[in-house]
Amino acid sequence: MQNCGLFFTSYNGEKQLFASGFQKVCLGLFMVAMLAAPQVLNLYHVSVLNLMMISVIAAVSLNLLTGVCGQMSLGHGAFVGVGAYVCAALAAKGLPFVFCLLGGGCVAAVVGMFFGIPSLRLKGIYLAISTLAAQLILEYLFLHMDFLTGGANGMAVDSPSLFGFAFNSDTRMFYLIFAVTTLCVLAVSNIVRTRSGRAFVAIRDFYQSAENVGVDLFRFKLQAFATSSFLAGVAGGLWAYYTMYITPEQFSIALSISYLAMIIIGGMGSVLGSILGAVFLTLLPEALNMLTSFIGSYAPDISSMTAPLKEGVFGLTLILFLIFEPEGLVRKWRLIKAYWKLYPFAY
Amino acid sequence: MKRIMMTMALATAMFLATTMVATAALKVGVLSDLTGPTSSVGVPYAQGVKDCIAHVNANGGVNGEQIEIIQVDYAYNVQQALSAYKRFMSEGIVALQGWGTGDTEALVKFVSRDRIPVFSASYSSHLMDPSAAPYNFTVAPDYSTQGRAGLKYIKDSWKEARPPRIAFVYPDKPYGHVPLPAMKEYAVELGFEVTGDEILDLKAMDATPQVLALKQQKPDFVWVGGTTPSTAVLMKDASKQNFGGTFLVNIWGNDENLHQMAGAACEGNLGMQAAAVYGQDVPGMALIRELTKDQPQMTHYIRGFVSTLVMVEGMKMAAANGGVNGESIKNALESMRDFDPMGLAPAISFFSDDHRPNMAVNVCTVKEGKMTFLQTVSLPREAKWLGK
Repeated sequence: MQNCGLFFTSYNGEKQLFASGFQKVCLGLFMVAMLAAPQVLNLYHVSVLNLMMISVIAAVSLNLLTGVCGQMSLGHGAFVGVGAYVCAALAAKGLPFVFCLLGGGCVAAVVGMFFGIPSLRLKGIYLAISTLAAQLILEYLFLHMDFLTGGANGMAVDSPSLFGFAFNSDTRMFYLIFAVTTLCVLAVSNIVRTRSGRAFVAIRDFYQSAENVGVDLFRFKLQAFATSSFLAGVAGGLWAYYTMYITPEQFSIALSISYLAMIIIGGMGSVLGSILGAVFLTLLPEALNMLTSFIGSYAPDISSMTAPLKEGVFGLTLILFLIFEPEGLVRKWRLIKAYWKLYPFAY
Repeated sequence: MKRIMMTMALATAMFLATTMVATAALKVGVLSDLTGPTSSVGVPYAQGVKDCIAHVNANGGVNGEQIEIIQVDYAYNVQQALSAYKRFMSEGIVALQGWGTGDTEALVKFVSRDRIPVFSASYSSHLMDPSAAPYNFTVAPDYSTQGRAGLKYIKDSWKEARPPRIAFVYPDKPYGHVPLPAMKEYAVELGFEVTGDEILDLKAMDATPQVLALKQQKPDFVWVGGTTPSTAVLMKDASKQNFGGTFLVNIWGNDENLHQMAGAACEGNLGMQAAAVYGQDVPGMALIRELTKDQPQMTHYIRGFVSTLVMVEGMKMAAANGGVNGESIKNALESMRDFDPMGLAPAISFFSDDHRPNMAVNVCTVKEGKMTFLQTVSLPREAKWLGK
């Protein structure tokens, strides 16, 4: 949605990612606020931000595949796992951070493309089941390929370092994760605007029409799987570096489902939506935890009853979102913007 | 719109509320699964932890200083465990009572970097090796040691001339796989004949295929590496199929719930435990009865109690040595020798190069619907078994 009175006099002006000066100023302020955040927030809040940003990369990458290209995936958690394990294995060999992170992304991209091959023949729920199989196969490999993954015992990963500077604290990791997240989000925002991105949207909207206008379905579907899995692998690499210990349990089907929930709640097909969804679903359990702790501190007897309700509240929130805001948080955000644009004249 | 703004303001206020720092006390983080997939055992374990802290505080605390617990229910989600740990750290904890395998392993490097001793209920063998996990402690020996002790118990009670036959049933999960190589190696060493493996999911509703395969293998004993629900399914189906072998169940697969789920099918089978059974004739049981107002508790409750008791003893030793912080607690624990948790668990010693609490495992059975203690089996503290 563009601001009122924003007119373009050139194609270049229209093509800009951030078309208005106001948007650029807001983004600049947001970046400054993010850069200052670790200096004013405590360890816990910085950690939540780190986890949130890793989820943002994974959610944005899944949205590129599912929201933009229409290819349902239930194996995204496993692709994140591939990135994490490859990154950890490369780091164990003493390779530099950037190489490990990109290596994790590249191997995840290859794996994603392999499991994306059925997408030429399958779509919708059938593709979902095929990617679910990818999730199960990869989980099996994580557990049984002891020589590569450490098997049931998992793998330890050292903190990353760049040009001799070790990212060995939450604050330092924050800046690293923030930089990578910014690059990933910018990359996806631009991919959506390229020829490939438009082809993805055409495939999502109606694959036969897309084919009729010359879109090579197989090529672009595989491209979507590769790009999405590459970014998932990068998210996995960051997760491995941040947690410093990875085990097969961390990349289960539950992770894939939670990424899917993020893009559904945030808004399918929207980069901003995936960010909002990732932020919302990372914060929701924290907020519910605080609420139950808060109740528990005043009424310990009631807290034993309210604690089990937490999971129910989590599920209920998801259902209510789907009923009352099926287009996700991004629509809510647009409504809020529209409200303030017209304020104080509501109509 | 106003409602949205109000909700956002409330959420922000709650988020920032966690930054509030409370008054000085020895703070201990308690990471619990109260609502997640392991909550049926996580709730009694966490209650044991809380009751022990309340008991210690009521009896002078740690050299007069009270212990304050900060409990977070992380619902067995590693990401939530990480943020809970950071919350504990920002509130200044000196020690942590952890819980499951996933979170304990995910926190291994963090706790060693931050020098926070952790007592968890994850008994993977690699967590017992201080060279890999210097700040990790447990009050139960690792799954491999538990399995070896179970095998030794069987072998010592075996009367026939032929070697006993054993099969392994476990979920295709890290928890199921971790002790397998150690157990199989020790089984061969003791003269068992290993007949094979069967996979049984933790959420299995039916174990007929596994039981039929076991009937073909004809094992005398079956080691079960599942949890109580999957073990109950296996035992019930084994009973239906008239399977004649005896089950030897890992620590999380046998507790007071097993009889409720499996009924008579679990009678006479064997299970490994690391703490006393409620009502067992040990010195500390009078205190447990008093604290629980004579309401029977699961053995996990007692293990949570013991875990906290040992941690508090480490804190007291650290206080006597000068001051209580993560590093001093760890050093104190590593000098702990044969600490007796009132008989509620076998005596506990830690060493700087060996964090196995002991090599003793309680073997239990179900008799007339009640979990019953049979014998404590002790193994030598072999260095070659550390971490394996």
